[in-house]
Order: sequence, then structure tokens, then C-alpha cells
Amino acid sequence: EVKRQRRAQKQVLARRFTREQIQPGTPEPVEGREHVHVQTELYLEEISDRIIEVDGECQTDDFLDRPPTPLFIPAKSGTDVATQIEKGELFDFDIEVKPILEVLVGKTVEQALLEVMEEEELAQLWSHQRAFAELRNAEFAELQRLEEQDRRIREEKERRRLEHLEKLRKQKETAEKIAARAFAQRYLADLIPSVFNSLHDSGFFYDPIERDIETEFLPWLMSEVEETLQKKVLGRTMLDSLIRTVVENRLDEFSHPPPSAQTKAPDEEPGATDAAPEMSGEADAADQPVTEEEETDQLVAEEEPSDSTSPQLEE
Amino acid sequence: MAQPRISAYLPPDIDPTKAALAFGRRALPKLNEELQSPRLLTQQRALMALCDLVHDPEKVYQAIALGFVDSLKALLVHPDQTVRQKTTEVLSIMASHSVGREGLIRSGVISALAGLLDDPVDICRKNTHQIFDMLARLPEGAGGVLQAGLIPPLVLKLKTELDEIQELILGTLSNCLRVEVSEALAAGAVTVLKEKLSHPSTTIRSKAAWVLLEISSHAEGKIAVCQEEVIPVLVSLLEDTQPEVQVSSTGALMFALVTPQGRSSAMGVEAIPPLLTLVAEETSKARLNAIKTLTLLAELPEGRQTLLDHRDTFQRCLDDPSEAVQRAAEIAITVIDWKP
Repeated sequence: EVKRQRRAQKQVLARRFTREQIQPGTPEPVEGREHVHVQTELYLEEISDRIIEVDGECQTDDFLDRPPTPLFIPAKSGTDVATQIEKGELFDFDIEVKPILEVLVGKTVEQALLEVMEEEELAQLWSHQRAFAELRNAEFAELQRLEEQDRRIREEKERRRLEHLEKLRKQKETAEKIAARAFAQRYLADLIPSVFNSLHDSGFFYDPIERDIETEFLPWLMSEVEETLQKKVLGRTMLDSLIRTVVENRLDEFSHPPPSAQTKAPDEEPGATDAAPEMSGEADAADQPVTEEEETDQLVAEEEPSDSTSPQLEE
Repeated sequence: MAQPRISAYLPPDIDPTKAALAFGRRALPKLNEELQSPRLLTQQRALMALCDLVHDPEKVYQAIALGFVDSLKALLVHPDQTVRQKTTEVLSIMASHSVGREGLIRSGVISALAGLLDDPVDICRKNTHQIFDMLARLPEGAGGVLQAGLIPPLVLKLKTELDEIQELILGTLSNCLRVEVSEALAAGAVTVLKEKLSHPSTTIRSKAAWVLLEISSHAEGKIAVCQEEVIPVLVSLLEDTQPEVQVSSTGALMFALVTPQGRSSAMGVEAIPPLLTLVAEETSKARLNAIKTLTLLAELPEGRQTLLDHRDTFQRCLDDPSEAVQRAAEIAITVIDWKP
């Protein structure tokens, strides 16, 4: 109502102002003069019936996102009640956080512990292994030492055995050699006398004079004897031949008696008898085999007995 | 102050390098699938998660039962170095468990690892050698390494690798050579080890002497050791200040002196005095080995003469708490008193 009254008052006032504005007009122009409407403002403006129109545009803005719904705070209804939680009433942070912390820390520590335990376990294992390895090495070395000793002893034994065998062999050989030597000695002890005997028997040991006599004197003697015999034989053969020729001549003469044959026969006889001693004289100096050869052609039969006697004499 | 409203955000990811683990039994199979995925990042994250899981022996058992080793073997030749490094790390942690060791040997991982010996990344090689070292401690593992023909490459690597890796290689070699020695001798192992005996690092010296010990426990090894004149070097190591070196070198001498040539060369280098000092020390770990070595030397006439004067040292050894030392001392006294 107050507002209505005020509005009414405003309207009345507005009407009054409009009336006052319309009543005073411009006086009539003086003669000779003309009233012209002139604009006296600084800036002239064109007055026309046409109303100045100005185009105006209007554009709505882009759609904004719907702003988040404001928190719904329901209108207050009911009675206001306030409450305050004092420190320590609801829960004690330190006590409550313990299990959570324990879990967190526990997990981390567990992981770390695992890693450390791993290393420790490994270190333990290695030290255990190392101790075992040392013992094992010591025992192994002992074993090898004993093996080596054993090997040496065996080798030594083997060598000694071989030496012993060698010694036995040598002993045996020596004994055999001695036996052989003794036997040979005994065997050959008789050798020298028997050798000497056989040599003696076979005539190697000779009295030089005897030998000399035998080798030279006797052959010479024999040859002389042979010569003499041969001469005798030759004489005989000559005689035989003479007789033969005489007989033949006589035979020829008696078959066909030529007168010259008789004179020849007695010439030939002394010639033959001269020839015989001449030939016997020649036989002394001439080679025996030459005369022998001449005579053997004619008188082989007479020669044979003389040949047989001469080798017997030589023997 | 905690509010009762449920937050719309996921909880913060504290370790983005690791894959998220599925709950309970599903963890390992899911990791197995992730390992075989073509995306590099997934594989790397799965490997990181696997590294942490593998410290638990039960997980190791489960992993091997699920056939993880085959997927890991496939990853060993991956071109990315992180993948290789993590794979080798996982395998080495697996090898530190007994279950893991058996599983690895059964699935023939040794031959797959042989290709990684020349890897350019140090850590990969170190892990590889660690795996070999741990696997070789089992007799089947040592047999596997020998069968894969890895001894000659390992001996060659010994000359060129870093110190840490050399220690691991020496450990592997000592375990493998316990079984068979001919390949290593053919590759000239004795010469390389002789150089290592004069290395400044204690661990390398003691491990090299240990390897020589294993070599000389075989007959052909003894011959090679005598030929290469390693015995004088070992005798000089007897006076070393570190006890492990002393233990290993006395052990190596113990085996090498079984042969007559070894004994004569040891006598020539005057090995008896340092050995006697080792025996006289009550707390020395090398006591047992030293007594055994002196027993060997006492079988020589010159040795026996020298040791007759020191007979009371052995008598004192009879009071040692360790039974093995007592026995060894008795045997030594018997040998010294023996008359031909």
C-alpha cells in the first residue's frame, strides 16, 4: 500500500511536469523575420520523421556446464543439537595405529629379514662346506700320501725282486760257466798229451837229422837205387830189343836171305851193345821219365814189374 | 583430520618402477604374462617386482613350478641392458636358494648363460658369474658347467676381467676342477693361476691357491704343477700375513708334494721352516694342512732328519681341540720315527 501511494504520487508529479512543458511556447515572429528552426547544439543532427533505428543484436552465451549441484543442505528443521568429541574419547590414535603400523613395518622388515637370512644361510652353508672341504682335503691328501707310499714301496719291492732275480740268474750263469770251465779244463787236460801224441804219431815232431836223412838221403838213395835198377832194366830191355831185332833180322834173313843182312846184323850188334852202355851212361844224366817214356812204349810188360818194385821201395 | 568422504583419486603410486602385484596366488602368473608382453616398460616393471619377490623361498618354488625360468631364459638375450641386468639378478637370487639351484640346473640355464660371458655391461657379467659360482657348488651344477664346455672361456676371462668377477670365476673353477681337470690344463690354467698368486688382493690370492689345490688333487694336475714350478711361489706364500692365503697355499702344497718331484723341489726351496711356524701357532687354521704337508716331507730322508729335531712341536699339536689335527699329528710322529 505504501508502494501504491508512492506510485500514485509519482504519476501526478509526472503529469504536472508534462503540462508545464507543453504550455510555454515560442512567441510569434516579428515582421520581416522568420522563425527558423535551428539547431544550436554543438553537433548538428539530422531531424527526420523517420525514427532513427538502431539494430541491435543479442546472442545467448554458450551453454555453461551445469555447475555442480551445490551440496544439498536440507533446510534446517528440527532442533539444533551440538556435540563435541574430546580428545581421547573416540579412539586413541597411537594404540589404534599400532596394528596397522605393525603390518606395514612387519612386511618391510620381513622382506629385509628374508634377504638377510638368505645371506646368512648361504654364508653358513659355505662355511660348513668349507670346513667339510678342508677335512675332506686333508683326508684325501692323507690317502694320496699313503697311496704314494704304497706305490713307492711296491716299486721298491718290485725293483728288489727284479734285482734278486737278476742276481740269481747271474749266479746260475756263473755257476754254469764255472762248471763248463771245469769240465772243459778236464776235457782239455788230456788234450795236450793226446795232441802231442797224435802229432807225434802223425810225424810232426821229428828229429831233424832223422828227418833230414829220411827226406833227403833216403829218396836220393831210392832214386839212385831206382836208377840203378832202371839201368838194369834198361839194359835188360835193350838186350831184349837187341835179341828181338836180331831174331827178327834172322827171321827176315831166313825168310829171304839178302847177303848184306848178315854183315849188318853183326854191325848192329856191336852198335847195339855200344848203344846200351852209352844209353846207360846217358841214363845217369838224362831225365829218368824221358828214358822211361821211350822204353815204356816198347817194353811195357818188362816195365811193369820194375814199376811195381820201385814204389814198394819208396814206401 | 580424516574425513568420511571417499576420495575420487586413486592412492598415490609410491614406486612407479615396479609392476603392481596381483593379490595372493595370482601374483606370479600375472608377472609371468607381463614378462612375455611385447612392451619394454611392462617387462622392466615386472622384472623389478620379481626381484623383490624372489627372496622368499616359497615364491621361488612357485616360480619354478610355473615355468618362469623359460621366460627368463628368453629375456637373457634381450637387447635392452636393464632387462638383461635384472634377469641375471633374478636368476642369481634364485640360485641362492636350494630349490632354485635345482630348478635352474634342471632347466639348463647354464648353456643359456654362456652367451652372456661377453656382455658389455659389468653388472650382467658379475651376476652371471655369481650364478655360475653358486651352481657349481652342487655336484650336478659342476657337471653342468663342465659339460657346457665353459672351462676354457672362464680361464681366458680370468686374465682380462675385473677383480670382483675374477674372485667369482676362481670360486667357480675351484668347484668344477674338483671333478675334472683335463680341460683346464689344456687351456693353460696353471700359468694363469701362477700369476694370480702374486696379485695384491688377498681374496684373489687365497682363491687362486684354492684352485691350485683342487688341480693338484688330480694326478695330471700334480704333474703340471711340478712342471710349471708353482711350488716355489706357493712356499713363498706360506709367509703371507693373511690366514686364508696361508690355509689355501698349505692345502695346495699338501696335494702337490705327493709326487717325488714335488717333494724334491719343495726341499730345494726350504719349505720346512715356514711350515713349522704354521704348525707351532696354536690358532692357525692352516695347522691341519701344514701338519699333513710336513708328514709328506718327512718321508724323505733329509726331511726326516730335519724334523726329528722339531718333534716336540708335533707333540704339542696332540693337545689341539680338533680331532683331525690330533690324528694328523699322530700320523706325522709315526712317520718321523719310522726307521727303514
